Amino acid sequence: MRLFIAVAAATMLFASVAKAETIRILMETVPDTRYIQELLPEFEEASGIDVEIEAISYIDMHSKLVPQLISPQGSYDLIVVDFYWVGEFTKAGWLMPLDDLAARDGVNVDVYVPKLMDLVGRVDGVLYMLPFYNYSMALIYRQDLIDDPAEQAAFKEKYGIDLRVPETWDEYWKQVEFFTRDNDGDGERDFYGTVIQGQRGDCISMQWANYLYSQGGRYHDENWEPLLDSPEAIRAMEYYRDAVVNYSPAGSEAYCFDEAFNVMAQGRAYSFVTFNILYAGFEDPESSTVAGKVGITPNPGGGLNGGWGWAIPNSSPNVEAAWTFIKWAENPETAKRRALLGGAPTQAPIFTDPDVMAARPYYPVLGEILAGTQDFPVFTYTTEFVEEVGRELNLAAIGEKPIPEAMADAQAELRALLIKDGKIAE
Amino acid sequence: MVAQLLPHAVLIAFSAAILLPLLWLLRVALTDKTTAYKIPPEWGQASIGNFVEIFTGYPFFNYFINSVTVAIGATVIALPLAAAIAYAFARYNTGGMSLRLVVLSSQMLPPVILVLPLFTLFLKAQLLNSLVGLIAAHLTISLPFLAWLLVAFFDRNIALVEEAARVDGATRLQTFLRITLPVAAPGILAAGLLSFILSWNEFLFALILSGPQTNTLPVGLSSFQTHRGVDISLLSAATICAILPVFVLLPFMRRYLIKGLSLGALK
Amino acid sequence: MLLSPATGGNLTLTQRDRRFGYLLTAPGLAVLLVVITFPLFFTVFTSFYDYTLLTPNHDTFIGGENYQEAADEEYLPGSLWVTVKFVLASVVIEFIIGFIVALSLNATDRFKTVYYLILLAPLLINPVVVGLLWRMLLHSELGIVNYAIGLVGIRPVSWLGDPTIAFWTVVLTDIWHQVSFMAILLLAGLAALPREPYEAARMDGASPLRCFFYITLPLMRPVIFVALLLRMIFAIKTFDIVFIMTKGGPGTATDIISYFIYRAAFFGLDIGRASAMAVGLLIIIIVLTALLYRYMRSLN
Repeated sequence: MRLFIAVAAATMLFASVAKAETIRILMETVPDTRYIQELLPEFEEASGIDVEIEAISYIDMHSKLVPQLISPQGSYDLIVVDFYWVGEFTKAGWLMPLDDLAARDGVNVDVYVPKLMDLVGRVDGVLYMLPFYNYSMALIYRQDLIDDPAEQAAFKEKYGIDLRVPETWDEYWKQVEFFTRDNDGDGERDFYGTVIQGQRGDCISMQWANYLYSQGGRYHDENWEPLLDSPEAIRAMEYYRDAVVNYSPAGSEAYCFDEAFNVMAQGRAYSFVTFNILYAGFEDPESSTVAGKVGITPNPGGGLNGGWGWAIPNSSPNVEAAWTFIKWAENPETAKRRALLGGAPTQAPIFTDPDVMAARPYYPVLGEILAGTQDFPVFTYTTEFVEEVGRELNLAAIGEKPIPEAMADAQAELRALLIKDGKIAE
Repeated sequence: MVAQLLPHAVLIAFSAAILLPLLWLLRVALTDKTTAYKIPPEWGQASIGNFVEIFTGYPFFNYFINSVTVAIGATVIALPLAAAIAYAFARYNTGGMSLRLVVLSSQMLPPVILVLPLFTLFLKAQLLNSLVGLIAAHLTISLPFLAWLLVAFFDRNIALVEEAARVDGATRLQTFLRITLPVAAPGILAAGLLSFILSWNEFLFALILSGPQTNTLPVGLSSFQTHRGVDISLLSAATICAILPVFVLLPFMRRYLIKGLSLGALK
Repeated sequence: MLLSPATGGNLTLTQRDRRFGYLLTAPGLAVLLVVITFPLFFTVFTSFYDYTLLTPNHDTFIGGENYQEAADEEYLPGSLWVTVKFVLASVVIEFIIGFIVALSLNATDRFKTVYYLILLAPLLINPVVVGLLWRMLLHSELGIVNYAIGLVGIRPVSWLGDPTIAFWTVVLTDIWHQVSFMAILLLAGLAALPREPYEAARMDGASPLRCFFYITLPLMRPVIFVALLLRMIFAIKTFDIVFIMTKGGPGTATDIISYFIYRAAFFGLDIGRASAMAVGLLIIIIVLTALLYRYMRSLN
């Protein structure tokens, strides 16, 4: 008991007495956070700034951040911001514009992939973030099955076309159907053409976006007029429901990406439309039985763009030190070393850097995937929209609501939120 | 014979229902994610690597100490205060029903609603990111909980013994301290244990009011849900390490927890 | 000092009792005043303002508008209904199992510590981990539970994918986690029961069942009441298990009220509206508690 008190007292003391220059960063538990932590001692030594990184789960980030941001003085000098929150955070005026700092120190922001600058960099021409991390979505599939001559012959015979890495949605869907099998002959499928991550909320919202793009659908037109009851959107939902019923494990309407990942990692599925960063997990024997057998390619018709950006909140106690840190973390040399460790690049040259390509041969594909992505609607109420549309999509996926009705309701929800945000008139 | 065996049969069945999932957790802690999800199960090579990693790669020990400090701190502060309130409620009906409801009312609000004003309050009082602040936050849960719970243990049976003591010339305070508290000890300790658990498992306040140095176990464990999936093996190892030390303490409390002092002993 | 005859001399016995009561409650109430009253009043106050995370201030008084908006929420009644079902199911089942376990433990001497330790274990695991643990065990494709029931010829169950089953899955997970809470409380109540009535009953040759209904139950009534009440209040606030296991789905099958309010506050950014819902919930629970309390007293 006495020991507890002593340790507790020591901890509290440590927490309250700040060193000469210490910055506190709130980050998400993404692989890149670990890589930053690995390289951190170099920065601390060179700059004399102590860095305290607090890494918490993505599902807790928003709740943790918001109280900090609405206070005049927060506990964090530097934060990372998911693209979901960009509209909300900038509208609320929580983030500090970085244009002056970047201009003053000659930081070149043109190295970033433009898609990411649009997503987690500039908002209405103002630089609020530097893109830190990219999790755009792609199609992960079993290369070994595509390369199998017997499968190739059978596929050709059945569909009259070659079995190859899919380039069109139609081709992909034939493969999904083709590979869904009942291998042990008990009358129930046990190998799946695709895996759905259909849990209500952001899991289904994120994955379904790829289905929407695959059908040429969009969330809204140039004037923010919502398009979720369009024929394309309805067709996308029909495909999704088709997958839930016929090609994905029973129960996958409740999976999030971890459950779906494990189905594919255990060698029970042909493909999975998901975040590109999961690819490294499939290649790791500690988490996957199919290491060396998977490939990654753009989702036919385009995938969802996603990313996190570094931002300095207006409540930051130490702006200069935070900016010094960003400059270090994002200078091309550090960025390249992060990529060599397995990080998700955001700067265009890194995708095709010779050293990076030698260590991670699939990185150019990641660049291609990113180039072909489309954006989710980013506005003040994106987070709420993800939840609302996630509910309607899930209701349709489990068959509780007819698809046209669910899409009409999703359309109404999006419209109401856009009106609330002043994007469109009533 | 049946009367003796039946309780054991019930308890063995119940224990099995609780233990089986925990044994699976232990198995997962001893292996990697690939093996953990193999169906049919493959046992693979057991390794304590995950246990090593949670101590070397994560501030697990720090989380643990923070959790223990906050949970014990909140309980130790709340218990005497709540015992006093409960005794006044039970014996003197202080404040009537309305005061009882007021005491409990904050417990009827979802924590997500309470956390924002608490954050504002703590910011002004400079209590953010400190264990003291977290203990204060957990008092909002343990104090009302204990106050209500303990009323039930200061019931009429004790009142009779108290009257005897009062007739013998003891003051109200003496009666409370020397008669009532010992007799109600099993209830008070069980209540203390449950209050410890409430604080031990509390997540939202700990998430929002604490910082890197003061994160508790629930916050630390939650961070094993990463953007590349759940680090299920590390999470399992950490969970097991979090449960075990408490078990070491328990046999010492056992005597009081389940036996207590009977009324007869005091007469 | 508290009871010095000089000041107490001219007070009646009841007055002195009352004063002693207030003196006892004062320190605890002082602490509560600080840590609870402010958030409570803040919530009630905020529920009448247009307080959002984008404009976190009390500049715009809007009267009952937040309440009107909350009442108009299309999915709120469904969420309330899910909450009622969840609270009833989990608390009632936990009470029955918890009481049986507590009675068994109370009647046992051998291995008592071992049983008690096992009983305690789930309570020490935080709800986030409990949710993740059961999500793993109940994975429709790779979960050990579906594998085990498959060995005895039962078809795999979609534990979290089917709306009806998912509701019960969440209830059962909560029971696995929380039933010991009830058992520990009831056991403490049983341990504190006087021995004399039982000895007298045994001399009269009363059966154990009669003893249970005529001695144990009546004497346990205060403990039972408070155990049920507190578990009910905690069950209404259940959040983590749903947040981790289902996010309120499939569809709206597990969309309990605490997650609904959480979404209004942190996703909808509308603290005013969330506060209005919370105040509504508060009123419902206070009325329920008061009714239960009255009923309890009428029994004595």
